[in-house]
Amino acid sequence: MKLTFGDKLFQLFNYAFLIAAASTMLLPLLQLLAVSFSSPIAADSKKVFLLPVEFTAASWLHILQNEGLWLSFGITAYITIVGTLISMLFSVLTAYPLAHKDFLIRKPIMVGIIITMIFNAPMIPFFLTVRELGLMNSLWALILPGVIGTFNMIIIRTFFMGIPKELDDSARIDGCSDAGILFRIYLPLSKPVMATVSLFYAVGYWNTFSRAVLFIRDPEKWPLQMKLRAYLTSPEELASVNLVLGDYDFNTTTLKAATILFATIPIVLVYPYLQKYFVKGSMLGSLKE
Amino acid sequence: MAVPYDRLKPDSAPASMRKPRGNRLVANMRKHWMLYVMILPGILYYLVFKYLPLAGSAIAFQDYQIFKGMQGSAWVGLDNFRYIFSYQDFYLVLRNTATIALYQLVFGFPAPIILALLFNEVRLMLAKRVVQSLFYLPHFLSWVVVGGIVFELLSSQGVVNMVRGWLGQETILFMQEQRYFRSIVVISAIWKDVGWGTIIYLAAIAGINPNLYEAAVMDGANRWKQTIHITLPTMFPTILVLFLLNIGNFLELGFDQIYNLLTPMTYSVGDIIETYVYRAGVLQGQYSVTTAIGLFQSVIGFALLWIFNRMARKTEQGLW
Repeated sequence: MKLTFGDKLFQLFNYAFLIAAASTMLLPLLQLLAVSFSSPIAADSKKVFLLPVEFTAASWLHILQNEGLWLSFGITAYITIVGTLISMLFSVLTAYPLAHKDFLIRKPIMVGIIITMIFNAPMIPFFLTVRELGLMNSLWALILPGVIGTFNMIIIRTFFMGIPKELDDSARIDGCSDAGILFRIYLPLSKPVMATVSLFYAVGYWNTFSRAVLFIRDPEKWPLQMKLRAYLTSPEELASVNLVLGDYDFNTTTLKAATILFATIPIVLVYPYLQKYFVKGSMLGSLKE
Repeated sequence: MAVPYDRLKPDSAPASMRKPRGNRLVANMRKHWMLYVMILPGILYYLVFKYLPLAGSAIAFQDYQIFKGMQGSAWVGLDNFRYIFSYQDFYLVLRNTATIALYQLVFGFPAPIILALLFNEVRLMLAKRVVQSLFYLPHFLSWVVVGGIVFELLSSQGVVNMVRGWLGQETILFMQEQRYFRSIVVISAIWKDVGWGTIIYLAAIAGINPNLYEAAVMDGANRWKQTIHITLPTMFPTILVLFLLNIGNFLELGFDQIYNLLTPMTYSVGDIIETYVYRAGVLQGQYSVTTAIGLFQSVIGFALLWIFNRMARKTEQGLW
């Protein structure tokens, strides 16, 4: 296609705009990284842009020795692994019958599920329900109340519906049960979508916050995001030493920067895998029929 | 087309052996009992964590006492609603919520549409992929992290004030000033989710028949004309559906974001229904009143959805 002068000018501006805007997605994280490796004086005197000034790793060494931070890291790792496994099991077991043409009550159940997407229960009855179930201060309160993400379940269901029915029929002739068909035929064919949805769930569990605010009162059981929030609002606790009395190579500014990154690094590490799949995966979410 | 064997059977059998219609479910359950067992945990989940709380919203019409439970608590009709509408704080919170929601709709909703159109004009595949990957990244960060980043960037030692310093301007404590709060909310929301929001529109664009563009070029349409007359109209059904879903949750701004950006200094402009309900309900135990507020929020959302859906059906397909 031939480009006019106007087209070329537009292309130029478009590239410039997109590159500038895209870099703002990364720059804040890089700036925090630079601050976290800078001396407290440099960090507090507006000198650190994208490279550390008066390089020191003292902030990182300090927060990596923080047992409370590691405890909450462990709790979050635990709910991420256990939660993702349970969520995947629940979602697959729900998605498969709903994708099955011979499942007679498929439509009414699907309608019942869609209704919950439009009518969200208010916060308080939800809170009271979970409390009545005795889940207060239990890590299960971070997993069970959202164990099936409806959108994620629909992604799996849509993928299952795309698997040719002939495979189903021939397996049945070979004496395969419904469960056998799911585990021996459907699941092996669905590895990419399983990977996508698992990663969605894992990121969701890693970022668990509002449920912890509602249900976890005991600071010993706080997940990472709660702990991070507590440290950001009262950074003196993060320092855990008297910054005025001693001569330290960190202060609340550099410690906060390091802690924010500490909670973010696992996401950034899985991100390349995540984004390999998710675009395809999230397009599958469109409701069929 | 091959008809499954079991579907042929009832009709080919003699009339006396044909199963009555009501028994279809029993027969289906017997044949596919495994499917019925499989879906049990899912049904249980939706009943316990979605429908039970919905039914529990009835405490909005009660003077709910935690020790008496729902059965023991007295029914008070619309008293809780009368109370909230006579209560000054409620109007403040409602105004904050509605104002921010309106800003989100006006600025936040079109942002991914425009960005998707701009992505669509990028011809270099590598550049497109790199730029898109960067745009999707913030979606996966928690609001605690994003809130932390926002506070650090806008603090007195932050980058924004550093740049202002270079330009010879004085330091502003953005997070403590009321007049910046709503802009910060809208901009940070766009920053976090604009890239993610493009995916669904890009899918719509990818489905456009290339012949349409070729025909337009023959007729002498330039890129701009093609965008206005082909790309946007094909995206329109997607835009409409997302708009309706958005309007249904109009007053639900998301607890996580506001909670992580709010400070006592900005309560007067930033305290929204969800943060208020959390403080008055969860922390102070005013369960019935805050449930009434939550219910009011849902009713407004549903009313808006209903109105806009009716309007949508006049021109295009609505949600129902």
